[in-house]
Amino acid sequence: MNVPEMDFKMPVGLNGFLRGVTLAGALIVAAGLMWAPQRTWSSLLLAGYFLVCLGLAGVFFVATHYAAGAAWHVAFRRVPEAMTAILPYGAGILAAVFLFGSSLYPWTAEKAHGGFQAMWLNLPFFLSRAALYLTLWFLFARAIVRRSRLQDVTRAAMDTQKNARTSILFLVVFAVTFWLASFDWLMSLTPHWYSTIFGIYNFAGMFSSGLAVMILLVIWMRRAGPLRDFVNQEHLHDLGKLLFAFSTFWMYIWFSQYMLVWYANIPEETVYYVQRQHGFWLPLFILNFLLNWVVPFVVLLPTRTKRDAGILGKAALIVLLGRWLDIYLMTQPMSSGSAPRFGLWEIGAFTGACSLFVLIFLRAMRRALPVPMGDPMLAESLHYHN
Amino acid sequence: MSRRLLIGMFSDEHDILDVTKAARERGYRIVDVYAPYAVHGMDKAMGLPPSRLPWVCFLLGLSGAALKVWFEYWTTATDWPINVGGKPWDSLPAFVPITFEVMVLFAGISTVLAFFAVSGLVPGRSKQLIHPRSTNDRFALVLEQTDAAFDKAAARRLLEGHNAVEVLERVEEAR
Repeated sequence: MNVPEMDFKMPVGLNGFLRGVTLAGALIVAAGLMWAPQRTWSSLLLAGYFLVCLGLAGVFFVATHYAAGAAWHVAFRRVPEAMTAILPYGAGILAAVFLFGSSLYPWTAEKAHGGFQAMWLNLPFFLSRAALYLTLWFLFARAIVRRSRLQDVTRAAMDTQKNARTSILFLVVFAVTFWLASFDWLMSLTPHWYSTIFGIYNFAGMFSSGLAVMILLVIWMRRAGPLRDFVNQEHLHDLGKLLFAFSTFWMYIWFSQYMLVWYANIPEETVYYVQRQHGFWLPLFILNFLLNWVVPFVVLLPTRTKRDAGILGKAALIVLLGRWLDIYLMTQPMSSGSAPRFGLWEIGAFTGACSLFVLIFLRAMRRALPVPMGDPMLAESLHYHN
Repeated sequence: MSRRLLIGMFSDEHDILDVTKAARERGYRIVDVYAPYAVHGMDKAMGLPPSRLPWVCFLLGLSGAALKVWFEYWTTATDWPINVGGKPWDSLPAFVPITFEVMVLFAGISTVLAFFAVSGLVPGRSKQLIHPRSTNDRFALVLEQTDAAFDKAAARRLLEGHNAVEVLERVEEAR
């Protein structure tokens, strides 16, 4: 088997274009911090959380497959591995928000109610927790990706086992830290509203959007060159099944959270949904589950559409937009008031974050062989059937 | 009319996949393939048309869900309205979990029953094993000797060329 070349057939000047868009996004955000600081911090929180989640989805995907001893994904494993490279950048954006834009969080200004909430939600403890979560995720991601790249040289099956052990440890740490992080970073924007399922809801969104990005990147890498001879329809079919399943899981958890609040009908709890269902928030509220579940569910139900790169890619793109809207609905209504705001500051953060992600992904992809040639399970991944 | 069969027994999953593909390419009529477990890719190797079971699953799931919504609406809003916590009679969110369960129940059970019906698995059906080991550790490819032009030696060579552990001939009486 020949070692694949990194013969990207990218449009000329793509890198320069991405740099330009990222820079423009950064400039818009900088201007936004001068003119409309509250609004810009809010969309930076959205952008940073979105990026960190994409990186985490990459680690989570690789780690679950190591832990399960799976082989099918090996042919395109470099794609989720390269996705993890965004983690430090997303973490940097979040750190800026937590350090300088903490006025987003109402609990920084008001007197906390209970003893436990006062103990949990105070800035020093909040910041050290955030630092702990982000550092742990980054270290685990780096360890797993490094070992996997090392295997290209050593070709040792032992590396797979070592990575499986790291992965299992990561999954345990991740389950607890991600759950707490979603409480800290998003739920505490409305400090008197509680939902214990909030972390699982965020996990569902994180993984389904991560899969959507992975699908788009795998299709791109297959068309553009490096994965041409390695990824086939079987891989797309299984990725499509996963996207289908996790988009449905997201809807399931969304409804589980909604139904309990609806049933109990306690003002303290319903305030969260009231805020998101009045005025022009309602169309967005409905659009959220149209994009995240209804469209991918209907489109990806037949076998044929999951094996068709064009249709699968479009469904993935819709899920990705839905994810942005989902985080928008979790972060914005508190500061926006009665009507949603979407203007230059939001667009700047959005396009800047997207182009930054692609830029970092391409750089990480170029740093290693596009296919893990040393993995003993590569051959199995190339010949499996659905 | 009776059928003359040529049966190749194989001990490896990859051999049975390859030989099935080769036999189909050379135009042999494949009666069936027997395996102790589901071999992925076998339907494509045999050239089977796509399964129609997903349609049974989809349509019965849909009708299960629709029936359940109608039934819940009828019981709680029409036939015997009960005020639960001041909620409206037709409280759709409250119906969702049960609707989901009934949809899964209908879709799942109907798919299994449709599979039994299509494959003729009914109580009292006598077992017809092509080979005693085909449910244990052997894979069987069953070819039909279509007419006098059937070159038995060539077919045997094909089977043995793919590591057949045993080649059998059998005449199947008409049922």
